[in-house]
Amino acid sequence: MAGLPTLPIPKEDDFTSRLRSPAVAARVGVWLGICFGIAFVTGLISHEAHVTHPFIAFPTRPVGLYRVTQGLHVITGTAAIPLLLVKLWAVFPKLFAPPPRKARELVVEGLERGSIAVLVGSSIFQLASGLLNTSQWYPWGFSFRATHYTMAWIAIGSLIVHIAVKLPIIRDVLGADIEDGKHDRPGMGDEQPPISRRGLVRGAFLAAGVAVLATAGSSVPVLKKVSVFAIRSGNGPGGIPINKSAKQVDVVAAALSPDFRLTLAHGSTEMEFSRSDLEQLRQRTHDLPIACVEGWSASGTWSGVRLRDLLDLVGAPKGRDVRVVSLQQHGPYKVTVLPRQFVDDPLTMLALGLSGEKLALDHGYPCRLMAPDRPGVFQTKWVSRLEVL
Amino acid sequence: MLAIRGVLIAAGVAIGGYGAYMLLGLGTDNLVATVKWLVGGVVLHDGVLGPVVIALAFVVTRIARIKVPAPVVVGGIVLGSVTLLAIPVLGRFGAAADRPTLLDRNYVAGWFAFAGLTLLVVAGAVLRGRFGRGGGDGPGTGGR
Repeated sequence: MAGLPTLPIPKEDDFTSRLRSPAVAARVGVWLGICFGIAFVTGLISHEAHVTHPFIAFPTRPVGLYRVTQGLHVITGTAAIPLLLVKLWAVFPKLFAPPPRKARELVVEGLERGSIAVLVGSSIFQLASGLLNTSQWYPWGFSFRATHYTMAWIAIGSLIVHIAVKLPIIRDVLGADIEDGKHDRPGMGDEQPPISRRGLVRGAFLAAGVAVLATAGSSVPVLKKVSVFAIRSGNGPGGIPINKSAKQVDVVAAALSPDFRLTLAHGSTEMEFSRSDLEQLRQRTHDLPIACVEGWSASGTWSGVRLRDLLDLVGAPKGRDVRVVSLQQHGPYKVTVLPRQFVDDPLTMLALGLSGEKLALDHGYPCRLMAPDRPGVFQTKWVSRLEVL
Repeated sequence: MLAIRGVLIAAGVAIGGYGAYMLLGLGTDNLVATVKWLVGGVVLHDGVLGPVVIALAFVVTRIARIKVPAPVVVGGIVLGSVTLLAIPVLGRFGAAADRPTLLDRNYVAGWFAFAGLTLLVVAGAVLRGRFGRGGGDGPGTGGR
């Protein structure tokens, strides 16, 4: 056959499909940009929720706020994956565009291509690292939380530059019919592709929707049955899944020991409570969600002692942070600080039970912290010491 | 418009620069590990996934000269992209013996159900396009 191409490095004009048009890229790009925007904002909210004293104090109401924002974060990130793949497919020939001849154009286009390289690299990095994190797969050497956060700024910054550079083309192609060829490359063929441009764009949206339906069951209960790729089915003791087990952090012996005592400290005043001492105090029951950064969440009916009631026993004033120490032997959240607005909230409790049953060991027996609207990692399990700061 | 674009570019550079500054502050080891993944992602997409998709399309449409109906293209996008993003759960790489509630579904069976349903819908759309109202080789779910 005479027409067999010499493959390895193609030229821009070798790509003749009418589908690889700015009219397609811009339409998919708008929704990709919306997904990135929502993921960025909800990511910032999650970052705020992880800082003890952020710029704006994290609210304690609505109790399910973090559950919703973090669920949205993972949902928009997931939807962005098919959109990014189709978007990159549509602009793939650009990779092989020849550099301009004039020096000045070379500098401008070099900068533009540099910004696109940063955008593509950071976008793939964010979606891939976020996706792997949802399933708790960490095959890398960087710190996930800190790096995912810093890379988000790089991705959004390069996205804004990209939008600014392409703004005239974006306006033109979005204002015209999708089949309009004003900004198409001259090398594009006349041949009808197997699918229309509109069909391709709808296909990308459909794939994004299917991706969400197939995964979001971990955070949206009604999707539990359809989400065949959800990281959790939602089952677990008391109807709540387990993220970290007692065995994993070596607390089994200490948590089950009859000598267990919770220490409550305020200045020089210290009080000790056994599990049965805690059971003697006034018990309250509240529905509170556990919501994790990985996007999964579940609501439970927790019962136990209101934290404020305990603090009153040692005469702690209102408006103070509390250091929470866990029995767990290792892990970054062994010692955390509960900000004052959560300390004084009437819903914040030291939970002793879940769904009317004694707290399971993997849920934090003998007692765990449960506060409204906090990321799951701060709902400290196996609490051994509370210190008024 | 030029002014708006200028402001946007300045803002974008400042925001991205802030991210780069924070990234450098995370230490050299972290930076090296990050750059590996940053470059690796682009190489995997531009050097492997992109060419594979292009080669597949080339073989089907140019060498075998198969006339692909629109619903098959849409089905391919859905099946391909969703399978790609299901790799972490299909491989259960993050699973641990002492955490039975994580990755606790039969994902392979789930994938077959998902793939089967996609094929059924695609087949239905192709048949409808061929024999349904309007007749001819209509575009099915692709629309036109």
